[in-house]
Amino acid sequence: MAAPRPAERPRPTLLLLAAAALTLLTLHIRGAAPLDAFQQGVRDILEPLRTVTDTATDPIQTAWNGIFGYEELLAQNERLAEELARLRGRSVTDDADRELLERLLNEVGLDYSQLDTVVVRILGTPPGNFGTHRIEVDAGSDDGLTEGLAVVSGAGLVGRLEQVDRARSTVILATHPEFLVGVRLVESQDEGLARGTGRGTLRIEAGIRPDADIAWNEAVVTSGGRSILPADIPVGRVIDPDENAEYERNVVIDLAADLESLSFLNVVLAPSEADPLDVDTGLSGSRRQ
Amino acid sequence: MTPRLRVLLVLVTAVALEGTLLDELRIGGVSVELLLLVSVLTGYHGGPERGAITAFFAGLLHDSIVGAPLGLHALVYPPMAVAVSSLELRMLRSTPVTDGLAVLAAVAAGQGLASAVGMLFGVLGSSTDEFVRQAILAGILTAVVSAPVNRVVRWAATGGLPGTIELRRGGS
Repeated sequence: MAAPRPAERPRPTLLLLAAAALTLLTLHIRGAAPLDAFQQGVRDILEPLRTVTDTATDPIQTAWNGIFGYEELLAQNERLAEELARLRGRSVTDDADRELLERLLNEVGLDYSQLDTVVVRILGTPPGNFGTHRIEVDAGSDDGLTEGLAVVSGAGLVGRLEQVDRARSTVILATHPEFLVGVRLVESQDEGLARGTGRGTLRIEAGIRPDADIAWNEAVVTSGGRSILPADIPVGRVIDPDENAEYERNVVIDLAADLESLSFLNVVLAPSEADPLDVDTGLSGSRRQ
Repeated sequence: MTPRLRVLLVLVTAVALEGTLLDELRIGGVSVELLLLVSVLTGYHGGPERGAITAFFAGLLHDSIVGAPLGLHALVYPPMAVAVSSLELRMLRSTPVTDGLAVLAAVAAGQGLASAVGMLFGVLGSSTDEFVRQAILAGILTAVVSAPVNRVVRWAATGGLPGTIELRRGGS
């Protein structure tokens, strides 16, 4: 038992600390740069330790996952087997769909594959239990990355860089409920603002005309414009055009990229970051594509 | 070594462990909340004031490694430390089981409260069910590792001296 401490006055201390925390919180949310720098400094100090620990604990982690992730692994195996069987059965349809998507993208002159990108490896989830729908990747500001850049896989948009440290970055996935992206429907050319739903889909919440003619399976791409994400990155397909909406349409998009089985991703460099003369900038040149 | 230095040493060790080794060992995607555990245990052994101050800095460090806005966990941890300290004074009898349950409850409450504050400030958007699952699992995992951490924090907060000196009448 700890000693009673009649002389202590926790209430004023607690109020003072709460006021300090709220002040810091408000300043940080408003974008105070020194606070970001402080946090980044703490993470950068820990970075070498984390890299060593990652390497040293690989066997432990494998054993740990074998013990505590076995059921999940079995379930994933079953799910993948089912998925494979389903995909084999639908290969003809998928081929046709892919052709249709490629045709649609070509028709509107999309140049998605020509974007300047940096290849990154997924390390896992960020430390701690704060938040979901985020992953950590093995590249940071040393590789020329900055916050807000689009992260894509071969299938399309995956998310954007939320925090960039020297050697690691955190990606907020497109399914995160706080993820917002300007999108364009390829056929109807309607533009809107899509938000993650937290369940593997996005919902266009604003911008779509109530009388817009939106087809099921219509391809959706990023709209660019004022957004930091480049235009014409495939986002997904419409799975619910919300045809019966009276005032505001909430079109649901199935994300093209499969977020369950990712290992490597591409970070799309902003137009100003890309080297127009194709000169090696020395920023992790081997990673660049 | 002064108590402040000892607490600082414990905090630095805790942040290093939470950001490295404990991050690798997850169950159901949830890891041990070591800094929150250090906070509540400092409140338990060191008293509400020392607990609150330690918890504030633990919260700032936690914010930095998990990428939360600076101040979010620093807002939540001190009240948890004070609450545990206050509860400890009111408990008539404590056993390892009740202490373990108290740690579980404190960590689950702290984790849940942090998620709630995150939602309030618009930096979290996941479902409430997921937050509840995370909080309970984090509470259980943290309670499991609390025994060795308890010894270290008691050393840091009290210098290894007994918390109370019980005076008994001799003779019988």
